[in-house]
Amino acid sequence: MQGPTGMESSDAALVARVLHGEVNAYSALVSRYRDKYARYAVHMLGNREDAEEALQDAFTRAYRSLARCEDPERFGAWLFRILVNRCRTSGARRVRRGQTFVHDETALLNASEEHPAEQTMWREEIERALGELSADQREAFLLKYVEELGYDEMAEITGVGVSALKMRVMRACDRLRVLLREVHSA
Amino acid sequence: MPDWGRTTLELMVQELQHPVRLDESFDRRVMVRVRRIYAERRHRGIIGWLGAATNISRRPAWAAALAAGVVAVVSVAIFHRTPQQGPVGQAIPVQFVLVAPDAHSVAVVGDFNNWGLNDTALVAENHNGVWSVSAPVHTGVHRYAFLVNGKQWVADPTAPRAADDDFGQPSSALVVEASTQ
Repeated sequence: MQGPTGMESSDAALVARVLHGEVNAYSALVSRYRDKYARYAVHMLGNREDAEEALQDAFTRAYRSLARCEDPERFGAWLFRILVNRCRTSGARRVRRGQTFVHDETALLNASEEHPAEQTMWREEIERALGELSADQREAFLLKYVEELGYDEMAEITGVGVSALKMRVMRACDRLRVLLREVHSA
Repeated sequence: MPDWGRTTLELMVQELQHPVRLDESFDRRVMVRVRRIYAERRHRGIIGWLGAATNISRRPAWAAALAAGVVAVVSVAIFHRTPQQGPVGQAIPVQFVLVAPDAHSVAVVGDFNNWGLNDTALVAENHNGVWSVSAPVHTGVHRYAFLVNGKQWVADPTAPRAADDDFGQPSSALVVEASTQ
């Protein structure tokens, strides 16, 4: 979003505008973090429909409690924490429904066109392998390697200790090694 | 990264890091929800009420002794009945109390005063370590917390914790009903 000086508004500036009643300023924050966090939600929940619902809910919850965001400059991190919690709830609900982990069809359609068949198979293997992980392991693996967070950041977001997170990541890697071995050697 | 299957892991991560793009209809759907919340808040008159929040009534010291019971009675209702959602439009005086002998200041922040934004926190008076403040709160379900020494968020120990408590700060649930008047 462009401010009066042509500079992009900071998160803190946008949060301040929203809190002072300029509700439309919130749309700039939605646009800023929409795609970035959609990736995590899609991989965590395994399908786009649940991911969009979780992300919508996270944005709505964040708006409701915006005045409680202690560091508006880090609105994105605060929002991400809400989303991670929301994905946990959604994941637990899905398990109770007995729904299987499914691949993201839209992402598959957007895959590289150079070798579409191979690319699609590879993505399917990845999504299947992710779905085989426990929710805790999948969360830790995605945060560490896909979102490239440090363990301290992960601990802050998840509320889980660093050593426990390291263990989850290690176990996720071990499991993925087994699940993807055949694909890797093919 | 672990030394196993390094190439496989790198390829996997590279694939997973591809952006997932949502279209602009997503933004519109979010903003519909957000504007609805904004309209509801305006309807409740919270924003208008906030301007007068600093002119809260101050109770004498003896009121503090009674105040704990007021909040407790109102809060305990959440265990016994389905919370009443949505604005009714009636403001009921509620007294908030926190026992904090070592505190230098105590204020009440909640969804009913926009979480203390723009100096709208309800500043409590100290009665020998018993901090209390009274304010009108609209009927409905609310979340609130005490702000101790201007920085420490403390949930009300006499009230139920709010269920929706994943925003990094503790908060308590408060049910204000017309029948408690």
